Amino acid sequence: MENVGRRNNSIFTLKNIVVTLLLIYFAVFLIYPIGMALVGSFYNWNPMNGTFDFNGIRNYTEILKDKLFWTSMSNTMIFSIVVIVFRVLIGLLLALALFSKLARFKTTFRTVYYMPTITPLVAVSFVWVWLYNPQFGLINDIFGLDINWLKNKDTALGSVMLMTIWKDFGYATIIYLGGLMSLPDDCFEAADIDGASGWEKFKYITWPLLKPTTMLVAVTSLITYLQSYIQILVMTEGGPGTSTYTISYLIFDEAFQNYNFGTASAMSIVLFFFIGLLTLISFKLTKERN
Amino acid sequence: MVRKLVISLLTLCLFLALAACSGEDKSLKGLSKDEKSDKGMEVIGENVKFDPNKLVNNGETIAIELWTWGGKEVFQKQVDAYEKIYPNVKIKVVNQPWDDYWTKLPLQLKGKNGPALFNVHNSYHSNIIKFMAPYDISTEALDKDYIGVTSHVIDDHVYYIDYAINSGNIYYNKKMWKEAGLTETNIPTTWDQFIQVAEKLTKKDATGKLIQAGFNFNGETYKAIIAGLGYQKGELLFKKDGKTVDFDNKTTIGNTQMLYDLYNKFHVGSPDFGDDSTKSFGNGQSAMVYKWGWMQGELNNNYPDIEWGVFRIPTPTDEVPFAFDRYNGESTPGINANASREEQAVAQDFLKFILAGEDFGREFSLFNASFPSKRSLAKDPDILADPVLRALAPNVDRYIWPGSFPSAVETQSGRVFEEIFYNGVDIKDAIKAGQKQMEKDMKNADFETVESKYKFYSER
Amino acid sequence: MLQKVKVTSFNLLLVFFLIITVFPFVWMLVSSFKTNSEIVKIGGSFWPEHFNFSNYIKVQENFQFMTMFLNTLIIATVITACVIYTSSIIGFVLAKYKFKGRDQLFGLILGTMMIPWAVTIIPKYDMMEKFGWMDSYAALIIPSLVSGFGIYVLRQNIMSIPDEVIEAARIDGASEFYIFHRIIFPMSRNAISSVAIFQFLWVWEDYLWPYLVINTDSKQLIAVGLAMFNGQYSTDYGGLFAATAISIIPVIIVYIIFQKRFIEGIAGASVKG
Repeated sequence: MENVGRRNNSIFTLKNIVVTLLLIYFAVFLIYPIGMALVGSFYNWNPMNGTFDFNGIRNYTEILKDKLFWTSMSNTMIFSIVVIVFRVLIGLLLALALFSKLARFKTTFRTVYYMPTITPLVAVSFVWVWLYNPQFGLINDIFGLDINWLKNKDTALGSVMLMTIWKDFGYATIIYLGGLMSLPDDCFEAADIDGASGWEKFKYITWPLLKPTTMLVAVTSLITYLQSYIQILVMTEGGPGTSTYTISYLIFDEAFQNYNFGTASAMSIVLFFFIGLLTLISFKLTKERN
Repeated sequence: MVRKLVISLLTLCLFLALAACSGEDKSLKGLSKDEKSDKGMEVIGENVKFDPNKLVNNGETIAIELWTWGGKEVFQKQVDAYEKIYPNVKIKVVNQPWDDYWTKLPLQLKGKNGPALFNVHNSYHSNIIKFMAPYDISTEALDKDYIGVTSHVIDDHVYYIDYAINSGNIYYNKKMWKEAGLTETNIPTTWDQFIQVAEKLTKKDATGKLIQAGFNFNGETYKAIIAGLGYQKGELLFKKDGKTVDFDNKTTIGNTQMLYDLYNKFHVGSPDFGDDSTKSFGNGQSAMVYKWGWMQGELNNNYPDIEWGVFRIPTPTDEVPFAFDRYNGESTPGINANASREEQAVAQDFLKFILAGEDFGREFSLFNASFPSKRSLAKDPDILADPVLRALAPNVDRYIWPGSFPSAVETQSGRVFEEIFYNGVDIKDAIKAGQKQMEKDMKNADFETVESKYKFYSER
Repeated sequence: MLQKVKVTSFNLLLVFFLIITVFPFVWMLVSSFKTNSEIVKIGGSFWPEHFNFSNYIKVQENFQFMTMFLNTLIIATVITACVIYTSSIIGFVLAKYKFKGRDQLFGLILGTMMIPWAVTIIPKYDMMEKFGWMDSYAALIIPSLVSGFGIYVLRQNIMSIPDEVIEAARIDGASEFYIFHRIIFPMSRNAISSVAIFQFLWVWEDYLWPYLVINTDSKQLIAVGLAMFNGQYSTDYGGLFAATAISIIPVIIVYIIFQKRFIEGIAGASVKG
């Protein structure tokens, strides 16, 4: 099936044009910048005072000694894991509910659930800042609480995570719904004949069959959340103190507030490898289990 | 259908992309060539002079940009007046909010298309000085017209000066003041008196929940006030070498403790009540705040209904302190050394225009509620009619300028405040950590304090 | 009986999440009709005393919101259109042609989705400056012409189109370009819809890049505008609510128009991975 395009012998075939342009594009907008970042990470690089001095692996060793870097790393990990777990759980739960024959108004529900996902993060973050406001925010009003959510080190990161879960669970719902719809009917029919209970059906049939979908959700989420910074920028600016710094926010801060491009580049390279590693591990894990 | 849609979109795309690539925004529309060099106008200024009777850019049309984070109207007025004299010149005033301004301006100046003129704040001195061109005005003339020029001279050149000096005051809500049974005679001069007044101005509901803060210093206040509180007790902000910040000391700890007690012992406010003291004051929920000059504009623009007054910052005792507070200069615009020669020439000429005249200094001082440094404006009736400037005027020489220290000091102070008041970190530990971080962030800065140039420096 | 309980509990669960989802939007919309003093009042009510549109009018007067809105609309449409085209043509080549290094190329494309923005943003910024694209839309459009995600979705989708369709067209003498434009492209409608919505949203909500490369207010995009508005008028809550509402509503409308196709497209891409 893959040999369909064999017969045209001119150089200017659709295939050649597309591949060439794609390669040029990649070279300019990906390979070159990545190379620059890699080189820059070994330099004391501050474009503001024109510094660009080689300093070996100093940037890297300094990052690894920096307490804020580790705070940011652990915040990023907590943030990503918690949000992904909830995203998967809520997404799956709602997809199953929507998929079942018992649900009404399916289209309405699914349309609405997806709404937060398609609203701009900056705007949504602002709305939630006000929801959390201790004076006129609605959250304290509704629950009769008096908590300064975003200025309390025990609640700040959690509050940002809650907003992110709220914004993103709809995406998981839709993906899972797609996964469910594509499952072969005959599996369930067979299970019905065997008299399997709902839970057994889920445990032995649905969940294993949905594994690729779960992978898709988990990996895309991981890549997104390890890089989250907009909600931090808008909602807490890393505060109170440094308790909500995430790695990407730290990079933003280093690069465009302190102009330590070298340090920022080194951090982003570390992040790059970190993401790559985690993605690989998650792929490995699922493969082995299969 | 889909195909048609796509094709039309693509055409649009191509068209727009082309338009975007060629679209320089420094539009010369509406400009005309200037051929008359004699404008029949008089030369402005005493020592710094501006002679309008000439051609700018040889009369050819030219457009430049001027960036600012505030006071757009003040600049615009000067620009309008200037453009009226020279129909071939267009100066586009671009306003950016404070935070964005300092992220983007240095990046812009680095390139070729940055603004020819830009408003300067001296706390960002080290980020931008490399991109600035010296003023084409003699230092001598500047010195004759303006106070404090000498501290801005770098290798015989001046890159910006102060048009005014700014410092902090206590702003109070007059209505609440009256409600609490207070009169003009209760205006506190010491911190002890201040605490008593603040307690009277605090209101709680039946359950003990705060509904009106007597004094609110949430948000930006701590980083603005903490150095000043040190100076009141004669503690300098920098160590003997003039370069290392001296934040972690007994005075800072003591002053922070005083602020801590205001909330946690006297309960005149809370870190969670009115996150942002400016807004809380403006919304009539806090009775007193410590703010710098910009607060006046903020209140006039956004909270016209609040009736407010101003008094001088209290001091530890009734004796005259080493200094009441620190001040900072409000800087005149800088010129972009990377701009084209033609643009720079226009920028230099416009600069002479605003520095030779009095309107710019007066209006911008009033806009920022800061005291003008142009000598001819010291007794200006408009200036003395301003409530904030009146509070500053009697002791203007008792305010100290530490120099344009890097913003890291303020940024880290702000973080120390959050660590203590929100994260429950011990005061001493937080200040110690702050000191460490400040030193780290300032490692590459070439800054030296000018504290020793203070008039009463020897009193310590 | 049991069935009834089940149905109720199922639908209650769905309704519960529906309320949670909608509530912040409703609150924002309702608050945007309140006056500032009403918003900040301690213990104020949910509904405004009377609805007034002054916030919306004020926002428009003080800020070039409509301009930014239109800018974003144009840029988002242009980028989306380009990305759809590049994604489907690249997806087509990767799905239906065999050549050396094809799988590696596809792997590389997938890999690009993993590169954090932080790695490339500084050098990219430098490049824009060297190209002289600062403060022009070229800086926004050209670096985002190709999307790894788009290629991925389209390739998966086009793979499922039977080869016989293409062969038949070839026998009729159709050129490769014809086949792509007239056959493959129309057949990938669902996948295109889903890529379109994502891409549109990404442009619509992108903050850092336009913030860095665009300086003129009248050229700025809406997410940055919103943040700027917040910086400049941080005290005017009514205005902020209105501005936020303005920046959210259009995307919702676009979404509702395309939602059916879109959800099918997303679902289609996910299973054929």
